[in-house]
Amino acid sequence: MKKTYLEFVVGLFLAIGIGCLAWLSIKLARKEFFARNGYELQASFSNGSGLRRGTPVVIAGVEIGRVASVGLEDYEAKVRLVVQPGVVLQGDTIASIKTKGLIGEKYIELTPGASDKTIKPGGVIRETQPAMDLEALIGKYIQGNLAKPDDKGQPPR
Amino acid sequence: MSLALVAVGASLCACADEPTAQIRTTTDTILALLADPALKIEARNSERRQLIRMELDRRIDWATVARSSLGHHWAKRTRAEQTEFVSLFSRLLEETFIDKFETQHSELAKVEYLGAKIIDEYASVKAQVTTKDQIVHPVEYRLQKSGKDWRVYDVLLEGVSLVKNYRDQFDEILAKSSYGKLVADLRAKIPQAVTLAASNPP
Repeated sequence: MKKTYLEFVVGLFLAIGIGCLAWLSIKLARKEFFARNGYELQASFSNGSGLRRGTPVVIAGVEIGRVASVGLEDYEAKVRLVVQPGVVLQGDTIASIKTKGLIGEKYIELTPGASDKTIKPGGVIRETQPAMDLEALIGKYIQGNLAKPDDKGQPPR
Repeated sequence: MSLALVAVGASLCACADEPTAQIRTTTDTILALLADPALKIEARNSERRQLIRMELDRRIDWATVARSSLGHHWAKRTRAEQTEFVSLFSRLLEETFIDKFETQHSELAKVEYLGAKIIDEYASVKAQVTTKDQIVHPVEYRLQKSGKDWRVYDVLLEGVSLVKNYRDQFDEILAKSSYGKLVADLRAKIPQAVTLAASNPP
């Protein structure tokens, strides 16, 4: 009786473990399915820092696609994205590179526009905003402050 | 002699792209108006601003800037609301730009044009503005061809798009309140922009 109960518990844990593996496989497979069945678009960024294959593409906080590849063309980051079917993007949709938090993972945010024309599958997202170069901006701010006269109106040293 | 010819040819080639040439003309005209001693007297403030306004109207496609800034909310507005929005927003932006030009043009050391990328009827002109404290600020103009003219529909300062900036702000305002409130806020800001600009002669 005791042995049967023990075997049952072991079997139950095994079943739970296999169930978790199955769930994980299905979830990963669903992402692959989505990637295969979406439509491809291209976008060029003058600074594509942090973008890589698998970077999420998001509208209003909702993931609607992924980056398929990042390459260099004409000294700009040429990005191929796959967007899920049914998402319509206006011709003046803006793609910008955002960060989750200050130092978190990068993602591409698409903000819908107002143009009557839509971007067809295989088309290009024309309006892009590069990744923000925070170090350069901080450097300019410091340099600008150093160049200003001090509180007593004395010129910078 | 041949070196001089090459040098002349190189400078001609640098201006050969029409979008850059047109942006350069507009910028030079506005800077000349701001620097003109005859226009610096307070009695001629309105005249100076009107001349700058005419130059901006020639180069900037305010209707597209306004429409694109409102983003996906544009389609939900009536034709009358759209016309009103374009008028209010472009007036506000124009007065804000003129104010910035008038207060900050004296800090400008030089403007350099780095070339244009033209694809079909769209162009992107990159430039850099160096201020007297030796800081270089990248600027990118995005233009669309309209007949013989290239007209600006977005400007990126330090990589930040003006249209995207306003689109995000309008999204936030419209999520929290109403379109009527947004319009009322725009109307309220315009007299402030005009007053601020009038009190800051170059």
